[in-house]
Amino acid sequence: MSETPRETRVLNAVVEIVDSLLDDFDVVDLLTGLTERCAELLDIKAAGLLLGDPLHRLRLVAATSEDARELELFQLQADEGPCVDCYATGQPVSVADIQPTIERWPRFVPAAAGAGFASVHAVPMRAAGIVLGTLGLFGASRGELNEADLLVGQTLTHIACVALLQEHPPTPLTVMPPLRSALTSRVIVEQAKGFLREMLGVSVEEAFNLLRIYARENGEHLTDVARRLMTDRYSRPMLVAALAELAEGRV
Amino acid sequence: MEGWGDDVPAETLGQFCRGPNPVRLNVAIHEQLLTAVDGRRGVEAADRLCEACVVLLDIDAAAISLVFDDASSGTLGSSGAPARIYDELQFTLGEGPCLESVRARIPVLVVDLADPEEARWPAYGPAMLGHQIRGVTAIPIVVAGEFVGALDLFRARPGSLLDDDLAGAIAAAEIAGVPVLDLMDGDLRAAVADPNSNAWAELNALTRAEVSQATGMLVAQLAVEPAEALVRLRAHAYTTGRSATDVARDILERRLKLEGD
Repeated sequence: MSETPRETRVLNAVVEIVDSLLDDFDVVDLLTGLTERCAELLDIKAAGLLLGDPLHRLRLVAATSEDARELELFQLQADEGPCVDCYATGQPVSVADIQPTIERWPRFVPAAAGAGFASVHAVPMRAAGIVLGTLGLFGASRGELNEADLLVGQTLTHIACVALLQEHPPTPLTVMPPLRSALTSRVIVEQAKGFLREMLGVSVEEAFNLLRIYARENGEHLTDVARRLMTDRYSRPMLVAALAELAEGRV
Repeated sequence: MEGWGDDVPAETLGQFCRGPNPVRLNVAIHEQLLTAVDGRRGVEAADRLCEACVVLLDIDAAAISLVFDDASSGTLGSSGAPARIYDELQFTLGEGPCLESVRARIPVLVVDLADPEEARWPAYGPAMLGHQIRGVTAIPIVVAGEFVGALDLFRARPGSLLDDDLAGAIAAAEIAGVPVLDLMDGDLRAAVADPNSNAWAELNALTRAEVSQATGMLVAQLAVEPAEALVRLRAHAYTTGRSATDVARDILERRLKLEGD
């Protein structure tokens, strides 16, 4: 991977994401892939995408990791940290070194440092003047997000906007229902992770992997698989059996 | 104007709001909506939320209905007797924008029921026109990922809601999830007035990843639907005086197992 110039890797990522947009796609899966591409392309260790809900709260919709500690940190970003500022202003925020900001963000900074992060950045996701959410980026070493990195982050979040809004011009009416629907999808995916944890005795992290792999292998949407698991009692036993088989194969 | 306290009835506020300086000038609509339900639960919270919608949005009546299962379907809260009548009509007739928005999982906006093009509901449309209602907006209410009901807004005049009002209506539907959860709790463990209840804190807790994950575990353990599982989780938090997040973590770590019925 490191042999390929970054420009090529960035373009490959853009082509890959745009390709999936042209096809039928699942919003949680696509945005999860987008955070993963960001982590690969930028000098960062973790990324989480937060969307604003109808009450202007930031809520996590996708992340590079399902690890409980990192999820907690991603969720904490909704209350304090650069993502909150970025969401309020619509401008990118880059914190090269988090330590001096501890007084400003007394809960966020220790949590980020405890998870091994030294720098943190937020890139706005915006369309026609409306800020839809932010992409939070965590670096293992200190340092600003440089111009080129920022551009890559912005390009990918811009694609995320297109994915969410599809062909609708952004107005409160066209923006809020898809954001609400994306956040609802995430809720159902989280439920399905817990459901599989109970049924298969796996971690929630592994449950997410299983759901994603199953969806991909069967050409289904991640959210649809999760929803079937949670609300369709008839197809549930077969689905659980298939996921159990998949889990066996991964041990 | 920072929202209103308990001592100022919403009707009084209504008089201020119809003046040239609407109350929404300084405070975001959603903050005022949240203030309206704070310290209240269940039907009372639902009623106050509907009253606040009438004060803050360009509408004449509002109602919250639950369309979850046949047993508990119906109007939960309303801005007054007329709103309740408008809302109950669709349950009587078996059609209408609320049922439509829950089924289709999207907001349903009716600009003018008198428009001949607007023939979606052959029984409901004429019945509403009989009550002098021309415009209806229905926004789905989502609890634990399930579309369990809708916030219904009624207007005597035709026309669509302005962007800000629509954003306010969607915010109100989001907040409505809390009183709806109260009322889905069959034992009404939470549906009593609680001066400490804070809709904002509650909404924050209930949308956390671990609460959703624990809800999923309960669906598997108790063989119930997700919304019911969340009601159980929340009821346990109330009875034990703990936060929903703490209860969720204990369920996930298998330190706590809730009993089935």
